[in-house]
Amino acid sequence: MNDLYAVWLVARKDLLQESRSKAVTVATLFFSAVTLVVIAFAIGQDTRLLREAAMGALWVALAFASVISAAQSYQADLEDGAFDALLTTPVPRPAVYLGKLLANWAFMVVLGLVMLPVTIVLYGAEAGPHWPWLIPTIALGTLGFALIAVLYAGLTANLRARESLLPVLMFPVVVPILLAAVRASGALVGIGDLELATGWLLLLAGFDLVYVVLCTAIYHFVVEE
Amino acid sequence: MTTETRGRWERPMWMKAWAAVIVALFAVGAYLGLVWSPPDVNQGNLIRIMYAHVSIAWIGFVAVGFTALFAALFLWRSKRMDDVRAVASAEMALLFSSLTIIGGMTYSRPTLNTFWTWDAKLTLTALMVALLVGYFIVRSLIDDPVRRGRVSAVVAIVVAASLPFNYLAAEWFRTLHPSRSISLDGSGVTMAPEMLMTLLFNTFVAGLVYAWFMVDRVRLGRLEAQLEAERQAHEAVPSTEGGVVRV
Amino acid sequence: MPTDPHADPAPPPVTTPAIALRGVQRRYGRHLVLRGLDLEVAPGRVVALHGSNGAGKTTLLRLLATRLRPSAGEALVYGHDVIREGHLARGRLATIAVFGGSYGTLTARENLHLATALRGAPTDALDEALGRVGLERVADHLVRTFSSGMRKRLGLARLLLARADLWLLDEPHAALDADGQALVDTLVHEARAAGTTVLMATHETERSFDLADAVLRIDDGLLSRVDAVPT
Repeated sequence: MNDLYAVWLVARKDLLQESRSKAVTVATLFFSAVTLVVIAFAIGQDTRLLREAAMGALWVALAFASVISAAQSYQADLEDGAFDALLTTPVPRPAVYLGKLLANWAFMVVLGLVMLPVTIVLYGAEAGPHWPWLIPTIALGTLGFALIAVLYAGLTANLRARESLLPVLMFPVVVPILLAAVRASGALVGIGDLELATGWLLLLAGFDLVYVVLCTAIYHFVVEE
Repeated sequence: MTTETRGRWERPMWMKAWAAVIVALFAVGAYLGLVWSPPDVNQGNLIRIMYAHVSIAWIGFVAVGFTALFAALFLWRSKRMDDVRAVASAEMALLFSSLTIIGGMTYSRPTLNTFWTWDAKLTLTALMVALLVGYFIVRSLIDDPVRRGRVSAVVAIVVAASLPFNYLAAEWFRTLHPSRSISLDGSGVTMAPEMLMTLLFNTFVAGLVYAWFMVDRVRLGRLEAQLEAERQAHEAVPSTEGGVVRV
Repeated sequence: MPTDPHADPAPPPVTTPAIALRGVQRRYGRHLVLRGLDLEVAPGRVVALHGSNGAGKTTLLRLLATRLRPSAGEALVYGHDVIREGHLARGRLATIAVFGGSYGTLTARENLHLATALRGAPTDALDEALGRVGLERVADHLVRTFSSGMRKRLGLARLLLARADLWLLDEPHAALDADGQALVDTLVHEARAAGTTVLMATHETERSFDLADAVLRIDDGLLSRVDAVPT
């Protein structure tokens, strides 16, 4: 069987389910928006502070959204033992992981691209001349979140207290992603410093590369029992 | 409990001797750090905290590396003892990194007039504590020993792989370290030879402590496994004793 | 090697057994559910598996389906170790779970396409299979609107499309109406005719004596052969 086709089949299944239930879309969209507003309230009226905190708020919102998105995608799998049935087909485990990753990542990129202008407006930040570089920043940052979230959501799906456990496990691992994404996008808005941003983007890319290989290789230990 | 089983639980002679050597070496290390080594030009006697603090921090990181190594071995060859070794190393890593944080706080209070600094290495250690706590939470939630070992091994590997990135990010994000006299990668050693010697000696002693606890914990793990095996022996039916059912 | 006095004329030893268990144990925490199973099932046999709730029937089926690791011993599906060569074993087998194992937010047809395409089996006979199990009119309805019997029927359609050499069926008759149960029997008869090996866990004692070539029972963590309907 063509393994890439299997990746596509799994990804399409997750996206098709989401397009029907909209469970993740509704939850993450509102959650991110509320997070952005709440952080803005907490910062207060100081426009300079708001502008500086803009990218931090965006990435915190996206980090939480990736937890919700990954956890929900396994929730749909676990009903009626459908995921179990899927895993008794000869589909390679790496293809299952990459398929779920692809669906989650695609969703998170879209969410990031929707939330970016919202953040810029809400926090009074300026897009600046280097704004197109924010798109690869969002792509690399959300990939980092999705990599860990999809692996750990599979790991916690069968455990007690999974709702609180997933962020506890995931966030310390993705701290480099959060820091690098905040710094990179912070360097890209306003006047912008492309050279500074490039260093952070390389860190994001390095993290993504290492974890794509690692997580794909160890995923089958997560889903076996 | 029979005398035979009690004998099994007792620590062998050589481990007691090893413990005695550690205590003696620890005294030597304390002497080197507190008396023999000179005070620092800038920080005076405060530098003496560093000998305990940095040596423990280094061994803590080594311990996380060994946790991931044994975790990978457990996934590879499914030997129960590898899981025991991984846990033992993780426990030591948690202990050492907690001590590192306490050491860091006592160090930064007089030097920087604050208990907490977002110094890269201290931040990294705090993250390491959080990562290790996650590892132990996962272990506590799974009853089946084999599945517990395998799932937590995945966590251990992910955790260890994140440390270089966490270090890099924290280092770049904000470095507030008062003296960059010796960095984690070993480059730029600018301290006096007596000070370096004292630090390396104390690191060696901390390494011996780590190794002793590892050996002892693995010894206990092996005994547990033996008891478990004896308990289980009567439950299982030896292969082909009942005859192969052929249909 | 001790031989079972009730065994039929022994299958020729040159053929690889469809199922081979050697000292298989499975433990959940401290509880040893399977205490040491030794079994060989020749290809093409239909075998029923009896046992009370919690005896370990589902455990054995999931273990053969490569979803559970044996705690000790080895399990082989057509000569492939379920742990070391799990993907090869999975290539030979198909399962039907108690609840059917389909996605509620996909239609019946989408579920079938997914499961069949993931196996690399041809997907041109989906409608035929749906017709066979009586779901052609609801082919494009979401499975979450299905009753448990309809979900089970969808599971049967997936089984047909898998073209597997070994069927692992967990209570195939459960939740089905009389028609559905008769359909299961027909499918099993057809499978036998086609040389497919079938292992089914069931509580349908009398029905399974009619249907199966041999009946096994798991009791106290061990397998034994049952030769007649207990009276």
